[in-house]
Amino acid sequence: MDEKEIIKIHNVTKRFGGLVALDKVTFNIYKGEILGIIGPNGAGKTTLFNCITGVYRPDDGKIFFNGLDITGKPPHRITQLGIVKTHQIVKPFNEFTVLENAMIGALFGRRAGKISKDEAREIALKNLELVGLIEKKDELASGLTLHEKKFLELARALSAEPEVILLDEALAGLNPKEVEESLDIVRMINKELGKTIVMVEHVMHAVMNVANRIVVLHFGKLLAEGSPKEVAEMPEVITAYLGDKDLALKFVKR
Amino acid sequence: MDIDEFFKRPTPLFILILLIVILIAKLLRLETTDYLITIMFFIGIAMALNIIMGFAGYVSFGHTVFLGISGYVFALLVYYNRDFANLMNMYSGIPIFFIALLAGGVSALVAFLVGIPVLKLKGAFFAIATIGLDFAALYIIKAFIPILNPEFFGAQIILPAYALAYKDNVFVAMYITFALIIIANYLIRRSRFGMGLLAISEDEDAAEALGVPTTKYKLISFALSAFFTGMLGAVFGLNSGGVDENLFNLAHTIDMIVMIVIGGIGTVMGPLVGSIIYFILYDTLLVTYPEFNLVILGFIVAVIVLFAPRGVVGILRGKQFMGKKLRDIIE
Ligand SMILES: Nc1ncnc2c1ncn2[C@@H]1O[C@H](COP(=O)(O)OP(=O)(O)OP(=O)(O)O)[C@@H](O)[C@H]1O
Ligand SMILES: [Mg+2]
Repeated sequence: MDEKEIIKIHNVTKRFGGLVALDKVTFNIYKGEILGIIGPNGAGKTTLFNCITGVYRPDDGKIFFNGLDITGKPPHRITQLGIVKTHQIVKPFNEFTVLENAMIGALFGRRAGKISKDEAREIALKNLELVGLIEKKDELASGLTLHEKKFLELARALSAEPEVILLDEALAGLNPKEVEESLDIVRMINKELGKTIVMVEHVMHAVMNVANRIVVLHFGKLLAEGSPKEVAEMPEVITAYLGDKDLALKFVKR
Repeated sequence: MDIDEFFKRPTPLFILILLIVILIAKLLRLETTDYLITIMFFIGIAMALNIIMGFAGYVSFGHTVFLGISGYVFALLVYYNRDFANLMNMYSGIPIFFIALLAGGVSALVAFLVGIPVLKLKGAFFAIATIGLDFAALYIIKAFIPILNPEFFGAQIILPAYALAYKDNVFVAMYITFALIIIANYLIRRSRFGMGLLAISEDEDAAEALGVPTTKYKLISFALSAFFTGMLGAVFGLNSGGVDENLFNLAHTIDMIVMIVIGGIGTVMGPLVGSIIYFILYDTLLVTYPEFNLVILGFIVAVIVLFAPRGVVGILRGKQFMGKKLRDIIE
């Protein structure tokens, strides 16, 4: 991991009516890292992802990607520039086959318009192989289990060939074995494909283990930032979110 | 695409056969020219609406507005322009096709402009907004057409005899328009654009998040759909010898929607098969049970929709045929 920032979040504020979902949030995401974002329910994690990917326009502040101001650009543009998000609530194209789902990513992603259908199919197949869905490629997405649908989200996102992947609670609802499988894939995508990964996660031991760095959000504010170990020892993080210091450190060690 | 590949896919084959059958029926006089023009009109409007409703998943309930707009534009062009009127009976109907293109273009423009705000609405709200468009256009026509010329009493434009075309010329214009619409459907369905539209109909947010320019794609598909619907309105108006407010009648949209739904949404074959079934049912029931043809038709449609929510083609999708998934073959 080098120290070059790939995404800069500068002073971002997002309000929903009177509710301040993000309050002057500033931090950097570095190229090649796995960044974990944690925080209680309603802390603004999904909202932050939505601001980065253009689903919401921040009321204030700016977001830069590779030095380019992407604040307020439409989501499809941001995807084509190289940031893709998976959804907390999975959104498969139900009447498409698994392969077609992933092909949409390839056809409209970073190389949108410059890629043939055959190339798109190759890319999609490669990514389905990677997440272990290759055997289901010709099945309709509606028939997949939740666990498989989450992997499909990932394969679709990867097929868009992004530089940065935002995973919104990709592990929620998975059993321990599936969590381990997913973590291996996340590490692989990071190490071998060189993708920068930002993951919002409540499964504490998982994120503390896989992430290089952690950012803690609390009531829309940036509460803390640091290595998993540092963060787990911060008193304010423990009171706000982790609850118990010994427990917190156990997450890191596991 | 080489010729083998072409015949492996039944949809283009079916389109080709349909076009040849209509041509043979015309040349051998198996059916009246009027009947053939009407069936092409019916299948055509279903296929035209299919581009926005079947592919992008937006139910444009006021879609007849484009039959109306282009029908009136065409009628006015021919009524007031002697050059255009003279062309009606020249070059075997090709000029009619080109004037219909022009009239369709007006509908496309209206759809594009109206689409910018209206395509932000979803589901029933979009449908209702398009009904509003239909009513608004109808009121404008009813208010202004009679002012234009006292002969347009009740907003009815009856084309003068010199501006009417031989049936054969109307047939040619309708035939080219019809072929254009179904071939366009097929090409869109197979293209990247078509995949993007289908992704929009499945989940618009997910499509946008994966890079599909949803706003642009919806606008283009709405404008294209309006364009083709408009062309049909223009040629059909000419065939009827003029236009009246009935072109705006929402009953036409119901026909279009029913044809798409009984055939199978999201496909090309679906509305094609659906509209043929519907037209034949409609036509035979009208002749055999003129009093309650609509009741029977409604009952049949309800049964089909109840037992096959994704239409006749939809039932076949999951089935196997000679070791291949029918879904792959049909689409
Ligand atoms: N579209 C919206 N309209 C109004 N309020 C919203 C909207 N989206 C989020 N909020 C509110 O903003 C706050 C932050 O929500 P957000 O979804 O970002 O939280 P989160 O950290 O992702 O929580 P969770 O862990 O439950 O997913 C919450 O109070 C939520 O109710
Ligand atoms: Mg969330």
